[in-house]
Amino acid sequence: MKNVYTVRQVNSYIRNMFNQDFMLNRIYVKGEVSNCKYHTSGHIYFSLKDESGTIACVMFAGSRSGLSFRMQEGMQVIVLGYVSVYERDGRYQLYAREIVRDGSGALYEKFEALKKELAEMGMFAPEYKRPIPPYVRKVGIVTAPTGAAVRDIINIASRRNPYVQLILYPSQVQGEGAAQSIVRGIQALEKYGVDVIIAGRGGGSMEDLWAFNEEIVARAVFDCRVPVISAVGHETDTTIIDYVADLRAPTPSAAAELAVYEAGAAKEQMAAYKSAMRRMISAKISAAGMRLQRDAARLGAAHPRQKLDSKRLYTQELENRFRNRMNMRLTQEKHRLDLCVEKMKMLSPLSRLSSGYAYIQGEDGRGVTGIGQIEEGGLFTAYLADGRIKSRAVSCEPAVYPSYDKEDEKNV
Amino acid sequence: MEKEENQSLDQMFGQLEEVIGKMEGEEVSLEESFELYSRGMNLLKQCSQAIDEVEKKVLVLDENGDTHEF
Repeated sequence: MKNVYTVRQVNSYIRNMFNQDFMLNRIYVKGEVSNCKYHTSGHIYFSLKDESGTIACVMFAGSRSGLSFRMQEGMQVIVLGYVSVYERDGRYQLYAREIVRDGSGALYEKFEALKKELAEMGMFAPEYKRPIPPYVRKVGIVTAPTGAAVRDIINIASRRNPYVQLILYPSQVQGEGAAQSIVRGIQALEKYGVDVIIAGRGGGSMEDLWAFNEEIVARAVFDCRVPVISAVGHETDTTIIDYVADLRAPTPSAAAELAVYEAGAAKEQMAAYKSAMRRMISAKISAAGMRLQRDAARLGAAHPRQKLDSKRLYTQELENRFRNRMNMRLTQEKHRLDLCVEKMKMLSPLSRLSSGYAYIQGEDGRGVTGIGQIEEGGLFTAYLADGRIKSRAVSCEPAVYPSYDKEDEKNV
Repeated sequence: MEKEENQSLDQMFGQLEEVIGKMEGEEVSLEESFELYSRGMNLLKQCSQAIDEVEKKVLVLDENGDTHEF
């Protein structure tokens, strides 16, 4: 007979087929745990089953880090591993690398149940929320001492305000005992005395974040007299502590921003206050100075000396006016007098006599202006500039003088 | 002057705003203004002290309640 193969050949051929299959090399399988045996060697043997059937599974001791809980009969789990052939028994099985509980099942139900219970107790009520102080000096942090969360918080906090004291309580944030560790951290920081506490961790699966869903953590946050900011995972992750905390931050970085004020902004604010006060006080002072000047001027004006001065001034003015008027009048009269003197001078007979004319006076003492007033042989007196002559008229004859003008007579 | 040493920066900022508000009022006398001004300056000094401009190292709190550098 040709083409006869050994058992070994067939089994190893099938095993090769399995191992070359891309999908079977890395596969997630979900089902209910049954026939679970923790072997003394550290290996775990179990089966996954659903309504249709079962598949044999093994998790070797070397892969146990991929399992963070104790598997029990009937648990819904998801196993990551590869499917291969166990040649000795001639059967295939699932070699598990990681096993997680099926979140959409048990964990989620547990979460919802606790959330409902705590909400009914009033632990999420807004009236219990303590306000986060806007200007803190000491910030307590409960998180793992390694990892992105603590680094993010320290970076953001010291960038915003390097003068704020950060106090880290290094806690376990996942696995066995994590919840107790977080509770101790919150209590220790409260006792130490801080202004605000940030409790959280970076992102992860629902199992990773589970410690923040534990009732003891929720109670510790609720009982803490220091305001607590929750900072678990990413924006989309929600845990019980987010509902109980006084403030929920979407991420650890955001928590640092919410907890720590910006030193620069506070200093700017102070500078603004300072300049506002300076401006106001100097405005007040200059207003007071102006008022002082104004009042001094008014007071000066109201002084009796001022009235005296003005009266004296008025008197002076009146005197000046009076004097001027008087002087004017005097000058005027003097002119009139001068005029009269001139006129008198012109009218004086003496001036005529001095230019050679004579004044004739008859015996009766009257002035003689024509020949008819004196008879021949009659006596008269001729007045000259320096004396008089007693005379007798020898003869009287009329005479006519050429171009005698009456007008000219006045100007002589 | 009242006890202002133990107040938070928030409270002191609040008081500063109050002082400035009063100073802005028309009816405040010059003497009162000086008083308010010196009070405001004093508050500002305390604000600066509250900010406490010394860079802090991160401390780690251990199980015994003791702290040491991170």
